[in-house]
Amino acid sequence: MPEITYREAIHDAVTEEMRRDENVFLIGEDIGTYGGAFGVSAGMLAEFGPERIRETPISELAIVGAAAGAAMVGMRPIAEMMFMDFILLAMEPLVNQAAKARYMFGGKVTVPMVVRMPGGSGTGAAAQHSQSLESLLMHIPGIKVVAPSTAYDAKGLLLSAIRDPNPVCFVEHKLLYKVKGEVPDGEYTIPLGVADIKHPGTDITVVTSGIMVQKSLNVAKKLEAEGISAEILDLRTLRPMDTGAISRSVKKTGRLLVVHEAVQTGGWAGEVMAVVSSSEAFDYLDAPMRRLAGKDVPIPYNRFLEAAAVPQEADIEAEIRAIVRNKY
Amino acid sequence: MPTPFIMPKMDMDQEVVTIMSWLKKEGDRIEKGEPVIEVETDKIASEIEAPESGILANILYHENEEAPVTKVVAYILKEGETLEDIPAEKEKPVATAVVVEENADELVEKKGITFATPLAEKMAADLNIEISEIPGSSGKVTRKDIEAYATQIKDQVKPRVETPATPAARRLAEESGVTIDNIIGTGPNQRVQAVDVISASAQAVAPRPIRVQPEAGTQVPLIGKRKRTAERLTSSYQETPHIYLSVDVDMTRAESTRKRINVIADNNGDSPVSMTSYLIKVVAWALKRHPYLNSKLGDNNIVLLKDINIGVATAVDDGLIVPVIHEANLLSIQDINERLRYLSKQAREGSLEAGEVSGGTFTISNLGMYGIHSFTAIINPPQSAILAVGGLVRKPIVVDEQDTIEVRPMITLTLGADHRIVDGAVAAMFLSDLVMGLESPEIMLYQGF
Repeated sequence: MPEITYREAIHDAVTEEMRRDENVFLIGEDIGTYGGAFGVSAGMLAEFGPERIRETPISELAIVGAAAGAAMVGMRPIAEMMFMDFILLAMEPLVNQAAKARYMFGGKVTVPMVVRMPGGSGTGAAAQHSQSLESLLMHIPGIKVVAPSTAYDAKGLLLSAIRDPNPVCFVEHKLLYKVKGEVPDGEYTIPLGVADIKHPGTDITVVTSGIMVQKSLNVAKKLEAEGISAEILDLRTLRPMDTGAISRSVKKTGRLLVVHEAVQTGGWAGEVMAVVSSSEAFDYLDAPMRRLAGKDVPIPYNRFLEAAAVPQEADIEAEIRAIVRNKY
Repeated sequence: MPTPFIMPKMDMDQEVVTIMSWLKKEGDRIEKGEPVIEVETDKIASEIEAPESGILANILYHENEEAPVTKVVAYILKEGETLEDIPAEKEKPVATAVVVEENADELVEKKGITFATPLAEKMAADLNIEISEIPGSSGKVTRKDIEAYATQIKDQVKPRVETPATPAARRLAEESGVTIDNIIGTGPNQRVQAVDVISASAQAVAPRPIRVQPEAGTQVPLIGKRKRTAERLTSSYQETPHIYLSVDVDMTRAESTRKRINVIADNNGDSPVSMTSYLIKVVAWALKRHPYLNSKLGDNNIVLLKDINIGVATAVDDGLIVPVIHEANLLSIQDINERLRYLSKQAREGSLEAGEVSGGTFTISNLGMYGIHSFTAIINPPQSAILAVGGLVRKPIVVDEQDTIEVRPMITLTLGADHRIVDGAVAAMFLSDLVMGLESPEIMLYQGF
């Protein structure tokens, strides 16, 4: 199987879907000649032209508003935010229009749009360009939130997101763009709302997503040599959340750690714990559920402080050890 | 105002009680009806119940002190009350018998009727509260009273102290039938983990190791009646030199006489006379002739008692109680039988009154119904003797000079006597007369009761 990067996987998904469906188009800032802030749309302008690779002025409100309107009249727009942080400028068309239209028009209108957005820290982009705002988006009924962790998942999930009749926020992690993974040639989809066990284990369930999946996997492989068996459950889709997979895994391992980069307070780790608490998995818990999340601070510019603000492999390792050894 | 805890008067001529022990300390919460003081009169030991719920305070008479009856011995503080609320000590006039007109409040008190508003009644029903338990602040129980009471009982509910355990451990314990409270967990603060339950249930099926030291099971507190029984029997056994004499009695004629008596009883619609009742009558007759067996040891004398009051040791759920048939020698067998039936019933229900268990001069203990052939008993001080009665057994015995053997209904009587008062010959003569009364009932008619 060929190995390609996460960026290429997203590029391929958009390209293949635009070739397959002429209603699909890309809209955003600097996505044409420049190829997009992170180079995802490189070369697309030449193939599809400015009608379908639609560059806009610097207005996220305009991008998402136009995409929502186009979707309502039958197009399948893919809107690109240069940084996830800028979705805040487009919250009104996203939250008040796109998320509500299908409901308010009794299903007569659908809004099949995707908003792609690079999130997360680690690039020295400081407090306004490094946030993980998934929980903000997850709080809105009518929006699906997808956060792939591998090239394979990114392509399969993006195809499903484009074909989904609802607004989907597709959260890409900046640090993952260069990460390679095996991706088969040709079309395949991964259904939204289905989690994936990236590493099976019996002692503890680590529920995570995005960049933290790879970090958790590295820790799991290291601890496996010591006889600690951690199951890494990649949610892949944050909303709708695969509650069944969470409770099945916790029933098997009896312990839970939730890891996400987004800040802890109000983060979705709490949601995962609530799922376990109110499912039959509760009676299988043999330790307090724990979460490891970003510190409740803006992402610092200083690279050491930036690293310290979000969970790193050493943190995940220490936390898993403590839980498995009944330290809590 | 705090509720005064008044020492009740249990007997007509009683002036003081000795406080044996306070079952609660100052500051303890006590509930209405709960035993709080163990007292002893010259007749019996009793437990005095709390007249009201609250906090026990200001104990005025301590253990081993004599307390006057009808007087305050402590106070009970209700919520919000402090020691300051206790009135300055003064002689409280003892309620005398004055006829007063009954008003509604007294009706409530006397007849146990509680008036309540319809809303209060509904609230009480919803909260599953017995409305008669609630003190009405204004003669009537109102919503406010119910709310106050509900808050009060809520405060009394103590937080459950639980063995810490993870949900998984609890589930496994339930599935494997292991009691989680018996496990000391390996988790933080000895929290029971799943693995602890698994190893505990593995041990449960493993062959049980031999325990060198006996394992303590339920612990029965040695208090109240049990404690008094223990103390009295220990002192009697240590201080009284017991002698024991046994005799076998042919009960053929006693039994046939009793059967004929029961034909009469049946015709009169009375209950059939029991063997014990019959025995009491004959023992009373024999005691009349042998006053040393019906006496007590004074400081410098032996007091031969005029009344013959026979106690019958009776096993009840929580120990032993000895109801007394007073002046048994003056009663007919039928009266004795009725009295004994009544007292046994009271004993079983735990509602014997002080006068019904005091004043005994001699005790009969019968274990025949348990198949006991013969046994010895410890004298119940200050009495001088006790008769232990075995079960009626049909046995072959030699009945005449020609060595004829016949099967006869036999019992074995064992007399325990205080040798300081009763010599062996005196005890033997008493037993001899008792045997004669049982084997030849006509002697009693001939000699008179």
